[in-house]
Amino acid sequence: MTTLPTTPAETVADRRAEPLSARLHLWAITVDHKRLGIMYVLSGLVFFLVGGLEASAMRAQLARPGNDLVSPEVFNQLFTMHGTTMVFLVGMPVLLGMGNYLIPLMIGARDMAFPRLNAFGFWLFLFGGLLLYYSYIGAQGLYGTSAAPDVGWFAYAPLTDRTFSRGNSTDYWILGIMVSGFGSIATGANLVATILCMRCRGMTLMRMPLMAWMMLVVGVLVLTALGPLTAAQVMLLFDRNLGAHFFDPQEGGSAILWQHFFWFFGHPEVYILILPAFGFVSEIVPTFSRKVIFGYPLMVAATVGIGFISLSVWAHHMFAVGLGPVLDAFFSAMTFMIAVPTGIKIFNWIGTMWGGRIRFASPMLFATGFVAMFVIGGLTGIMLAMVPFDWQVSDSYFVVGHFHYVLFGGTIFAIFGALHYWYPKAVGRMLNETIAKWSFWLLFAGFNLTFFPMHISGLLGMPRRIYTFQPDRGLELWNLLSTAGVPLQAAGVLLIVWNLLRSHRKGAIAGNDPWDAWTLEWATTSPPPEHNFDEPPTVGSRRPLWDLKHPEDPDGRYE
Amino acid sequence: MATPDDARETPYARAIPRPTAGPLVAAFGVAMLFAGIVTNVGASVVGAVALVFGGVIWFREVMPDEAVEPIEATGGQTVVTPPPLPARDAPSRRLLLPVEIHPYRAGLVGGLAGGAAMAVVAAAWGLVEHGSVWLPINLLAGAVNPGMAAMGEPELAAFDGGWIAIAVGIHAALSIMTGLLFTVALPMMPRRPMLFGVVVAPVILSSLSWSTMGIVNPAMEEFISWPWFVGSQIAFGAVCGAVISRVEKVPTMAALSTSERLGIEQSEVGS
Repeated sequence: MTTLPTTPAETVADRRAEPLSARLHLWAITVDHKRLGIMYVLSGLVFFLVGGLEASAMRAQLARPGNDLVSPEVFNQLFTMHGTTMVFLVGMPVLLGMGNYLIPLMIGARDMAFPRLNAFGFWLFLFGGLLLYYSYIGAQGLYGTSAAPDVGWFAYAPLTDRTFSRGNSTDYWILGIMVSGFGSIATGANLVATILCMRCRGMTLMRMPLMAWMMLVVGVLVLTALGPLTAAQVMLLFDRNLGAHFFDPQEGGSAILWQHFFWFFGHPEVYILILPAFGFVSEIVPTFSRKVIFGYPLMVAATVGIGFISLSVWAHHMFAVGLGPVLDAFFSAMTFMIAVPTGIKIFNWIGTMWGGRIRFASPMLFATGFVAMFVIGGLTGIMLAMVPFDWQVSDSYFVVGHFHYVLFGGTIFAIFGALHYWYPKAVGRMLNETIAKWSFWLLFAGFNLTFFPMHISGLLGMPRRIYTFQPDRGLELWNLLSTAGVPLQAAGVLLIVWNLLRSHRKGAIAGNDPWDAWTLEWATTSPPPEHNFDEPPTVGSRRPLWDLKHPEDPDGRYE
Repeated sequence: MATPDDARETPYARAIPRPTAGPLVAAFGVAMLFAGIVTNVGASVVGAVALVFGGVIWFREVMPDEAVEPIEATGGQTVVTPPPLPARDAPSRRLLLPVEIHPYRAGLVGGLAGGAAMAVVAAAWGLVEHGSVWLPINLLAGAVNPGMAAMGEPELAAFDGGWIAIAVGIHAALSIMTGLLFTVALPMMPRRPMLFGVVVAPVILSSLSWSTMGIVNPAMEEFISWPWFVGSQIAFGAVCGAVISRVEKVPTMAALSTSERLGIEQSEVGS
């Protein structure tokens, strides 16, 4: 059976009574997982706005052929910083931050397993990000002027060799990402330890919320994938500064080696970025369908399966290198294979909605949008898994369209859904639902207007990372449409930011359980006290709050 | 009887960790240490000092005993208010959807059977139009070998064990996946399952293949005969659909426990 945790009364008023400097000091020295989670998300959102501005500048440049709004050098910096920011300074911190905030609450723990390491991880991420952006001021470029990194977010060798990348902008890229990566490794280890060792009584592994399963696999993937990237970055640093030749083919090194290192990190990274999104959707869809998740054991198995298979698909990013038919066939087959557990998840979300009493509140809108957009991104991913097809569209805008459907239509939509779902828990106030729905539809329309035409421009032969394009190649319309979607997306994002700020003061009081949900975080006050629960809870099923609300029909007998 | 679970002390059950500046200072130190590589060695020196300083603060927080703060419980407040739902007298009968499904085994068998039928039609096409049963097999293997687009007909019509293995693997995987899709899709049109198998699915799959064949498998695009291809799709749909629709539907087991679903026999509690 489930026993009630108890918590103290609202503490927001007490905190607001303190002077600003004292409150800021408390935030700076905190080791509380919730405050760190909020700082992760806020920092990530700031970087998201910066990365969005960079993307907007690129789209403005590509609005018409032969444009010269920005110089080619600046364009190279824009796509490098945009990709690096969105992957390392937005996706990872926001997702790890959400895990930081939610996991201890969901598993009935008081904090993460290593609270100080948790704080260390956050500050490393933030300082790493600031170091990367300091390159705009401090780095020396080709002509001795200030320069941000310009070698692409994957920094392919030998372009990163000192011969081709003068100055130290590439060193900033290496060091900023490396420092930030140390933070991610710390957080990954913390997540694994917390989930395995800190669960409350009664919460067996098979009673954990699916979000906890996703974050467990993410933690393992972070530990597995980031190490090789860090090692490769150290080797690259040696190449550039100490005369080593790991990635210099002219001196016996191998440029392909960098690609293997990078993508051995890079493809699990895709799943590091998407699995937490799966977790958000797996919590939101049942709550707003008023049904238990369809096929929980299979969802768990699919998650673990994705974790394993994601470590053996990295070279599908390298088909165009010419790895040979055996390796091409292997990585193609493995990529097809990973579609199976991913498809199971989509099937189960739809199965959960099927026959449910669906409420299209804003979190559910974003979650449904996620499913639709991710299916498109997944299907184009399967197309890219076919070697002959990949050969023809590799490094084209088709690939850009594909991965934005996965990482924006997938991850970012899920993040916004999660923000709308858990904001009342973190702040104690509801977001304005009308603004939330406007922001969703603007974002949804703008997103599709921007990224769907990219598939077509890619099939027509437009290479990615290109500074401009010639007229009369049939690319004008598709690029103009892509650019036209940007203002809609910007309006959607700004509405979300405004809603977050406005509702912090003016939102309706949320109460402890505004969505009539079933997992443990809704059992405590909104916002939760520093210690989460007065008494550590005990659970008897996967939906402890269902048991509490329906003692005559508890879930345990069905599990 | 006490269990190991009862004896376990929940971490931070009585107190929570005290805030500390140690991690912040140490992280700043790490960042500055590396920043010195691209700025000035002085930055690295500052970073090293900050790292040591932060480490000492951190160390003193956890050694010899962890610095914690007591939990200030205001006590006894019930947090969750159950929603105003009418009380129920007896355990409810939950609505579990879907009620019945085709077993996945049917999709597996149906997919393999349909795949065999499709292979027969494809082999017939190879034999009738090109005088070789190996041609369609080699062309299918072209999905993972772009170099085949450059081969001539004599090479493609010749026997090659490696290509047969690849083609069989691709064909079996696709057939099974399509068969599983059939098991999911057929309940959506329960009155006319064969309409789906013989008309709807072949039209969808043929259209999809027609629009993408040039980029997915250029070698096959060069040789393909679309009437024969559509015929092979119809053969697949008819056989696969027939096999699946003949298998008796089974009720979903969503209401059963995992052990019951797995067929594990449970002894009564306490016996």
